[in-house]
Amino acid sequence: MDKREEGSVEEPLDLIRLSLDERIFVKMRQDRELRGKLHAYDQHLNMILSDVEETIKVVEKDEETDEEIIRNIKRNIKMLFVRGDGVILISPPLRTS
Amino acid sequence: MTTSNTSNNSNAQFNFFKMCIGRPVVVKLNNGVEYRGILEVVDGNMNIVMEQTEEYLNGQLKTKYGDCFLRGNNVLYISAQPRK
Repeated sequence: MDKREEGSVEEPLDLIRLSLDERIFVKMRQDRELRGKLHAYDQHLNMILSDVEETIKVVEKDEETDEEIIRNIKRNIKMLFVRGDGVILISPPLRTS
Repeated sequence: MTTSNTSNNSNAQFNFFKMCIGRPVVVKLNNGVEYRGILEVVDGNMNIVMEQTEEYLNGQLKTKYGDCFLRGNNVLYISAQPRK
């Protein structure tokens, strides 16, 4: 098992701490995804993100053919407060070990 | 052997997590999505950090993440995997 001396991850939230001031990917409930720069967080995963791109996946059903059409709606938000309870997954940019 | 109290249980839980660290695991979330990767660390809230994570939906590979953090409240189970 490799132990990183500097900036090691001893508890899960350390990974988030190491991602401060980096652009992160956040997967949210209801098929929403966020990409933005992480400014602050707390133990609930409430977060402040800036320059956020939100992607919302919408599934529409074609009435005639019963085909499911998946549309991605994107919008940009300058500054965003995210409530932690909606968060499913957070992925930082690839760390150089 | 049959005696079990809360401290024993949490100890067993802790031992299980310790045993799994650095090994491949499957984590299933309440929304049905599965994550396969190397378990890095877990905490009491079942927040999980994994490496080389692959996201599976209905058995199909959807995405890969280098490192990923899963918020504990979404976790349905953590399952130890034999090495492939």
